[in-house]
Amino acid sequence: MARFLIRSIISTIVTMLLVSMALFFLLEVGSGDITVKILGVFSTPEQRASYRSQLGLDAPAWQRYVDWLAGNDWRVKSRVGYPLVTIPNKESGEAEWWADVEGQPTRWKLEEGQLLALKRQGDGSTTEQIVSGDWQTDESGAEFFWGVDTKNNAVKWMRGEGAEVWVLTKAGLRKEGDGPQTYIPLRKGLLRGDAGESLQFGRPVSATLWSRVRNTAVLAGVAFIIVMPLALFLGIIAGINEGKLLDRIISIGGLGATATPEFVTGIFLILIFGIWLKWLPAVAIFTSANAIFENPLLLALPVMTLTAVELGYIARMTRASMVEVMDSAYIRTAIIKGMPYRRVVVRHAIRNALMAPITIIMLHVNWLIGGLVVVEVIFGYPGLGKYIYDAAIFGDFNAVEAAAMVTVTIAIATRLIGDLAYTLLNPRIRYA
Amino acid sequence: MKKNIISREQMEEVHPQIPKAYDQFTQGRISRREFIRMATLLGMSASLAVACGGGEEPAAEPAAAPDTGGEEAAAPTGGIKRGGTWTGSMNLQLLDHPARLSWVEGANIVRQIGEYLTETGPDNITRPYLLEKWEASADVKTWDLFLRKGIKFNNGDELTADDVLFTFGEWLNPDVGSSMLGLLSYLKGMESVEKVDDYHIRLHLETANIGVPEHLFHYPAIVLHRDFEGDIIKQPVGTGAFTLEEYAEGERAVFKRREDYWRMGEDGKPLPYLDELIYVSTDKDAGVAALQSGQVDTLYDPRPSDFQALKDVPGLVVRPVSTAQCLVLRMRVDLEPWDDNRVRTALKMCQDRPKILQLAYFGEGDLSIDAHMAPVHPAYCEKDIPKYDPEGAKALLEEYAAEKGIELPLKVTLATKNDQAEPEIAQALKEQAAAGGFDISLDITDPAGYWDRWTEVDLGITSWTHRPLATMVLPLAYIEEAIGAWNETRWFDDEFTTLLREAEATLDVEARRAIMCKLEDIMQERGPIGNAFWKSIWNITHERFQNVKAHPTAYDLLYDVWIDE
Repeated sequence: MARFLIRSIISTIVTMLLVSMALFFLLEVGSGDITVKILGVFSTPEQRASYRSQLGLDAPAWQRYVDWLAGNDWRVKSRVGYPLVTIPNKESGEAEWWADVEGQPTRWKLEEGQLLALKRQGDGSTTEQIVSGDWQTDESGAEFFWGVDTKNNAVKWMRGEGAEVWVLTKAGLRKEGDGPQTYIPLRKGLLRGDAGESLQFGRPVSATLWSRVRNTAVLAGVAFIIVMPLALFLGIIAGINEGKLLDRIISIGGLGATATPEFVTGIFLILIFGIWLKWLPAVAIFTSANAIFENPLLLALPVMTLTAVELGYIARMTRASMVEVMDSAYIRTAIIKGMPYRRVVVRHAIRNALMAPITIIMLHVNWLIGGLVVVEVIFGYPGLGKYIYDAAIFGDFNAVEAAAMVTVTIAIATRLIGDLAYTLLNPRIRYA
Repeated sequence: MKKNIISREQMEEVHPQIPKAYDQFTQGRISRREFIRMATLLGMSASLAVACGGGEEPAAEPAAAPDTGGEEAAAPTGGIKRGGTWTGSMNLQLLDHPARLSWVEGANIVRQIGEYLTETGPDNITRPYLLEKWEASADVKTWDLFLRKGIKFNNGDELTADDVLFTFGEWLNPDVGSSMLGLLSYLKGMESVEKVDDYHIRLHLETANIGVPEHLFHYPAIVLHRDFEGDIIKQPVGTGAFTLEEYAEGERAVFKRREDYWRMGEDGKPLPYLDELIYVSTDKDAGVAALQSGQVDTLYDPRPSDFQALKDVPGLVVRPVSTAQCLVLRMRVDLEPWDDNRVRTALKMCQDRPKILQLAYFGEGDLSIDAHMAPVHPAYCEKDIPKYDPEGAKALLEEYAAEKGIELPLKVTLATKNDQAEPEIAQALKEQAAAGGFDISLDITDPAGYWDRWTEVDLGITSWTHRPLATMVLPLAYIEEAIGAWNETRWFDDEFTTLLREAEATLDVEARRAIMCKLEDIMQERGPIGNAFWKSIWNITHERFQNVKAHPTAYDLLYDVWIDE
């Protein structure tokens, strides 16, 4: 069992690596120019190029991937010449990068050709100091300086040739002289718990992702708890009543519900229960962060939609499995032997009949978690599916990657649970 | 309701031009709206101006409620109820420095916590807001702004000229990147902004401009506290009626009522009447369903399709408002065949305006002449709406074709975006212009695809937003200096430019209208655009909310909204 677990964990890590690479390169090829989305269609190619370099997008793809995974402060440290540290901002609590100059957190900026050191004081304020003597000289005699700027980048300034850069403001772009020649956005990397910054919102991914994961987990969890017992129960009932009226009703009803796409079911449910009868909230309006706990009825229609789609499918799988088991020789033997029918079904048939549905159910947990996009979009439900959808449309690479890592983890965890469930149901299956 | 009588002397005291305008008004040469606008522009307080004008139209707003009046529905006497929550559906994006705002949704958030020096009401009249009044010199180059006394920020500090100067400093600082900088191009940095005393600021304009009060209500022009550091979410300090409790982009914004707001309600206690505002960030479609089911009370800027879905829902009140938003059919006058005015005129004649309005916008708008001046602009000069005339167009085109030695129909490509109503307009025009001798093929892309080339295509349909004065939009697109920027047609005309400059410095509405008449004629006669209609927009809110105002730029003005269950 231990070996089985270790093997599972290793395969999880390998899968996550492969998925992250595949996603990275897919977004690389497929998402187009992210700077157009951020800067707007009125931006010029010159502005876009400048902004690309500020986002560090001019670095080769493999390098950006390594930075995303493992961070880059260890790589950049030697250029700046000081250890790089993160200190939480006093107001927002978000991490800021500083160079540790002999115990004194420092950043730099170039203003009208003057190099200024910003030294962080204990209370979070900074003092400015002109440090013109710190320029270094390269082989060609040009003076340069590597430092940390105020926007969490390691940057290289060239003396006397401040590049003109386009800086994004909400009113559009403006041109700034004194710009650095090279930008390396500093990051710790996913392995050290830093998922990077969302390009859409300008805030760390971790600040926005977790509430979405929680919302989706609640929605999927409630749907799961309702669908599974109900589907298994209906499937078993239909299976032992094969060919009878009850079986026909369950089978045809289930088929109909499954065959209707969730966007159709969802919209009909909204129209009937939300708008016409006004019994249930039509869409998931979150008037506070914990709205689903304050008003659980918000979950009613999304859960009903998911139930309609899932229920029929699993019930039919269970029914088929049950019919097959009920036809087998040992069940016939048990019945002929005179064992009570109820005991035959409960003790002997169900356990074997559940093998197939368990596989389906475990696969469907993934679907529930990652594939809720349609349901979440219809109901305006702020969950993980909608998060991935919005981020992918925008090309928000960091957000997509982080969300994908969550779904991969869930997928692999449910597979593991499924494997363990098999061993409980069928003692012949053992994992060495 | 008491009726104020204001003597000519009192008017004269404020500004010598006012009695003259009053005469024009009493003789029926200018409308009441224009008189009020002009009188307030010249420094008369809005309540006085309303009182002067109110005598002629008894169904006017209450003179005793300065600055909150303006909506045509007379407020019910008494019966105001306090309390309750207002919930709106609106997209919420990243928000930091109000001066940098580039989207109205963000301004609707900031508007609840902060305020403006002036306010352009739903009736397109600009009134003092944080100002008590303003005064302009006769040459419109010196503007005196008098700040209202006793207004407190929500951190307890009093609003003084220092805050206003700080805010002007933010607007005029290129490092902040405010779009106010371009609007206030007539100010030469902070040296043009003078603090006379704690409640008196004087602006020294480089060039005359009558639009100063309107500019001060441009949506990024929130007055900031003098210690503001650049992020309104971290530092939600303002003079507004509500305080910010929570802001999560993509999720929600929550506001609570402020106890010590400076404006008084009709019951003699401070506004606002509502206890809480909640904006929820949803897709438009989810927002429509939420409004139908009563989960939210209103929806930000409904699209025409949303209007169709919501207009007959019981319990919702639809308030339409005419705007100066339009979809301009624009022609590149530096390219063949649009360099020939006969071809341009022919295409303009091919617009069957009522049909286009019906097909593209469900008839919800006002028909337009082929000029970028709207009837809601105060100095608009009334013109006949041109008739659909395919025969006339064909005659012009035949003359052109004979000269050029080409065959009709004239093949042209019309580019636009699939966004609001552009494809419907394009399709209608294609069919209507066939009779006039045009063979139009359509090139319709997604909005981003069109904005990539909107200034470059030779024939296109471009959407333009509402601006309260015609003199605010014309210099953006129809003068030589704007080529390379927003002059998408490359059209300019010396006579037009001269007259436009004159209009920009003419305070007298009647005199300005005379100039506008000529400007409209020039644009209709040889201009580069066709324009079938001005869009209406709608405020759709649950019926229990009273005092709701539909604003032509979809601004949410909520300080005096109340709930009548």
